[in-house]
Amino acid sequence: MSAPKVLHELSIAEAGRRLRAGTLSPVALTQHCLARIAALDPRLNAFVLVTKERALADADRADRELKAGVDRGPMHGIPYALKDIYATAGIPTTCHSKLLLENVPAEDCVVEAKLKSGGAALLGKLATHEFAIGGPSFDLPFPPARNPWHRDHFTGGSSSGSGAAVAAGLVRIAMGSDTGGSIRGPAFYCGTVGLKPTYGLVSRRGVFPLSYTLDHCGPLTWSVEDAALTMQVIAGYDALDPASADLAVPDFTSGIGRDLAGLNLAYPRSFFATQEDITAEVIASLDASAQQFAKLGAKVEEIELPDFELFNACGRVILIAEAYAIHEKNLITRPLDYARYTYQRMMVGATVSAADLTQAFRLRRELSSIINQRILGTHDAIITANGLAPAPRLDEFPADVPPKMTLQTMPFNVTGNPTLALPTKLSMSGLPLGLQIVGRAFDEPTVLRIGAAFEAASGWINQRPAVELQTAP
Amino acid sequence: MSTQEEAALEREFDVLMAKAGAKVPADRKAGILAGYKDMKRLALLLRQPRSEAAEPSNVYSLTGFARSKRS
Repeated sequence: MSAPKVLHELSIAEAGRRLRAGTLSPVALTQHCLARIAALDPRLNAFVLVTKERALADADRADRELKAGVDRGPMHGIPYALKDIYATAGIPTTCHSKLLLENVPAEDCVVEAKLKSGGAALLGKLATHEFAIGGPSFDLPFPPARNPWHRDHFTGGSSSGSGAAVAAGLVRIAMGSDTGGSIRGPAFYCGTVGLKPTYGLVSRRGVFPLSYTLDHCGPLTWSVEDAALTMQVIAGYDALDPASADLAVPDFTSGIGRDLAGLNLAYPRSFFATQEDITAEVIASLDASAQQFAKLGAKVEEIELPDFELFNACGRVILIAEAYAIHEKNLITRPLDYARYTYQRMMVGATVSAADLTQAFRLRRELSSIINQRILGTHDAIITANGLAPAPRLDEFPADVPPKMTLQTMPFNVTGNPTLALPTKLSMSGLPLGLQIVGRAFDEPTVLRIGAAFEAASGWINQRPAVELQTAP
Repeated sequence: MSTQEEAALEREFDVLMAKAGAKVPADRKAGILAGYKDMKRLALLLRQPRSEAAEPSNVYSLTGFARSKRS
């Protein structure tokens, strides 16, 4: 007989069953998370603000409602946290920046409104790279988040606090945003699940923009099922988000628990294996994962994709042009109020020409067509690399020049496809490794089915970083 | 890149910053200049022959992208 699980190891579904059976209260679950944050977050800096009173009030309301038979869905009574670019009414939303230290929104963003009306309990706001770009910066009002597997290492970004908080078991669900890999990078480096949904599936309204045509909102969670249940609450059409798709919300859990028989997976080995920065250990881990997918019943076929640098060029030109357009005034008038990395990255946008941007959009059309028609026309999903190497040390980042990022995430911001980041194993250095599962547009249920089957076989979910043993600063 | 080419690139960069109305703090210039150099490399990659279909309207091809009807 296995030992009873500690509360932060309960999945959303397991916690939900206990909350509805009356064997666990939302207040007890929330208090457990708050105590864990108080004990461990000084080592991690995942939170920029803990909303203790709000969390307990949310939990108390959920407690009373559940006892009265009111059921608001899978997140009712479940604690969560938000990257600090998600607007929260009456609660500071700083984007981790000096420029917005006094910003207290009057309205919630759509995702927060949905989680609130779904009865969830807000634990607080999470660290991010400033305005969801830049890097791990020490010249900002809040320190950068630390990797729970080794606090001297990078969390990935920009959803840095989201990755750290979920990996350390401070919260099961943390919202992030992904413009070039900002959900999937922290998921890779911190060893969590991260879902970048299809562009248009989750409203971006009220989330501070970085790049209008590349921004996606999605969850970082400890399990694939947790991600599916979060999506059930946050997905859906929003007439006031110009990118929002007016489509029915599917049952995101419909494929979870099924094997992979009948699925045809594309494995673009040369797409990542030829990259300069990839390690032999990462290639071996991905090859072993491809074999695992085959053992689970899928047909795995090696395929070719266009060169990664084409996707990278397309995405980076669009991202930096759009980010510069958003920040232009402040970049010109208040340069020193931005962190060094943020300013240096965004100012490059002033050098992008109209012709560059138009060519990038032309290429985007071509690359989207290749992925959606040629590859996913004949395959159910693509299995590929996420990061090329485990998390670097924070002290390896250059002082004067923004660091080069070694992620393979940008292609699927360019094409808008749903992409799940999944941990695979620990590297020899004790840091997580992982992969990406890319699906057809709006086919999150298949992506989550594939991810859940792999997760169950890998056993990853049963290990946690020993944050308690790491020395506080 | 030769020293001469590096100097020309920096002059070009200075013009672009002036055109944008930016007074770049001296200790932050190197990082942006490195980014500009890389952006020029990326911009070259964008300029390859493309078909007429490759144009910016509706970058997400709707064929096979959106579900055909609401379920």
